[in-house]
Amino acid sequence: MISRRKALHAGAGLAVLATVGAPSILHAQTKTLKITTWGGKWGEVMKGTVLPAFEKEFKCTVSADQAFPFVPKLQASSKNDPIYDVLHTNSNEQWNSFTEGLVMEKITAKEVPNVADVYPYAVSDKIVGVTIFTSAIGLGYRTDKGLTKPTSWKDLADPKLAGARGGYIIPVNSLGQAHLMMLGKVYGKGLTDLDAAYKALEALKPIKLVDFTGQMEKMLLSGEVSEGVIHDSGVYRYEGQNQPVDFAGPSEGVLALEQVLNVTPGSKVKELGFAYIDYMLRPDIQKMLAEAVWYSPANKKVKLDAKYDAKLLTTEAKVATLIQPDWKWYNARKEDIDARVTKILKG
Amino acid sequence: MTTRGRPSPIAWLLAPAALLFVLFFVLPFGVMAAMSVFSGNPVNNPNAFLTTRHYERFVFDTAGIYHDALWATLRIGLITTIISLLIGYPLAHWMARMQSRLGHALVLMAVIAPMLTGIVVRTFAWMTILQDKGVINTLLIQWGLTDKPLPLMYNEFGTIVALVHIYVPFMVLTLTGVIGRIDERLEQAARSLGAGRLRAFVEVTLPLSLPGILAGSLLVFALSISAYVTPSLMGGTDVLTLPMLIAQQVGTSFNPNFAGALGVILLLVSLAIVIAYNRILARLSGEQGLA
Repeated sequence: MISRRKALHAGAGLAVLATVGAPSILHAQTKTLKITTWGGKWGEVMKGTVLPAFEKEFKCTVSADQAFPFVPKLQASSKNDPIYDVLHTNSNEQWNSFTEGLVMEKITAKEVPNVADVYPYAVSDKIVGVTIFTSAIGLGYRTDKGLTKPTSWKDLADPKLAGARGGYIIPVNSLGQAHLMMLGKVYGKGLTDLDAAYKALEALKPIKLVDFTGQMEKMLLSGEVSEGVIHDSGVYRYEGQNQPVDFAGPSEGVLALEQVLNVTPGSKVKELGFAYIDYMLRPDIQKMLAEAVWYSPANKKVKLDAKYDAKLLTTEAKVATLIQPDWKWYNARKEDIDARVTKILKG
Repeated sequence: MTTRGRPSPIAWLLAPAALLFVLFFVLPFGVMAAMSVFSGNPVNNPNAFLTTRHYERFVFDTAGIYHDALWATLRIGLITTIISLLIGYPLAHWMARMQSRLGHALVLMAVIAPMLTGIVVRTFAWMTILQDKGVINTLLIQWGLTDKPLPLMYNEFGTIVALVHIYVPFMVLTLTGVIGRIDERLEQAARSLGAGRLRAFVEVTLPLSLPGILAGSLLVFALSISAYVTPSLMGGTDVLTLPMLIAQQVGTSFNPNFAGALGVILLLVSLAIVIAYNRILARLSGEQGLA
């Protein structure tokens, strides 16, 4: 026979078990979406506003990884249980991931309804996944050095800029890689004319080279570089801060630096992944992020405030100036290109 | 280390260190070495096969950059070690022989203070000093000593300056302990027997401090050849070291297999240099196996 004391003990034990176990039971019922995302201002808006609203609406939790590099981590995880459900990277990395079977090829309006409203470049044959924003890669320049506003990519080769022009360490930076292809177009037969590109690159020496765009921003702001390759958002974000820098889109066209989302084929919450991409393409979310970080939204229906609308790529005509590199072609030759440009730029 | 079949207390004390070594060195190195002989990741790619192509790629170096990168890595490591030793030894000797406790404490604080700041911050500090618009070049141009900025950064010179600043404390702290344990009376005895100050130092103190020189040099050399942040930020395109190539292969070329091969090669070459250095110093000091 169970005594009163034993019954109380057993009851207390059950209560403790229930208290301890409850969160895990609750957790098991709540789906978790694992994504990658940028840090900085973008990360602040995402973590402060965008993701909490998504979690509330879709009754899920989002685990966002901001620690680069993302693709090697995806490579190292199992394809059947990938470390990410949604991969957010630039286009070149999406192509690498797709080649290894780590992400899907296309995201269509069938899975993500808002894809029906994006500009054609966002789902062109140069894209795997879907582009949610783009920046324009052009030339950033100091306005206090007596320089005329650049109108052509060739302006970067002006002898006056020797030692004061800026570019990227091509093997590690996609802006540098895109610029190399642009040199092929401007000085040769097209984006894939590597011989012309190498020759033009040699002519840009002496040039200050950096690893990432944040460094280029600092070089322009400090005056270490007077003119350099940079994306528009990297310059426009200093608007209103009284900085003597501006952005110029060369007449030959600006290069697209796409922000691409894609779903991993082995994701256990693929539908939630599609819902997240759809959510990121909603006009209100696009407007909020575009105005926070000066990215051009991919959704045609987005209406930005006049200040942003004047500078970002928000019409069919402006979007037509975008040139999308063929990253599949580039990635297939990357090792050879890396070796060649390393030798060219050394010394 | 067992007593009647039971592990001794020493074994228990060593266990955490051994576990850490296995978990954070042996296991990762094993994975890296295994990856270096596969065409892809055998865990999630059933078509990955055994191959020597990553090593062949390095050995035959058709790209013409890998041998240069290895040589640059070793050259930067050696020069950084030698300069750190030349700066660190007199400082360590002075500290070890200092009578004033307060003076010793103040110098020790001065040596340790830079270590309280992260490597990235210290490297950025050097960038503000050495870049074209940096402190040195701005002053030189203002004073009319030069009309063009001197090339102080984006080359091996700037890289080595920053590395020496970062790693000198490791050399000083290692040497101070060893020199401090050398009995001063040995030097005094040599001098009382007619040796000058220099001869007493060269024939007594220096040989006795060789274990410290060995330990400090190996520490600084190992840290210098594996440095990534400083050569990347200070070297520009003039400097390409193996750790930079490894990071490139993992982070932007997404080729962990070739990165693994480069890691194994760097480790083997470094081990060969360390063994040779150990033997040379042992022969110089008349002992065997200093380390």
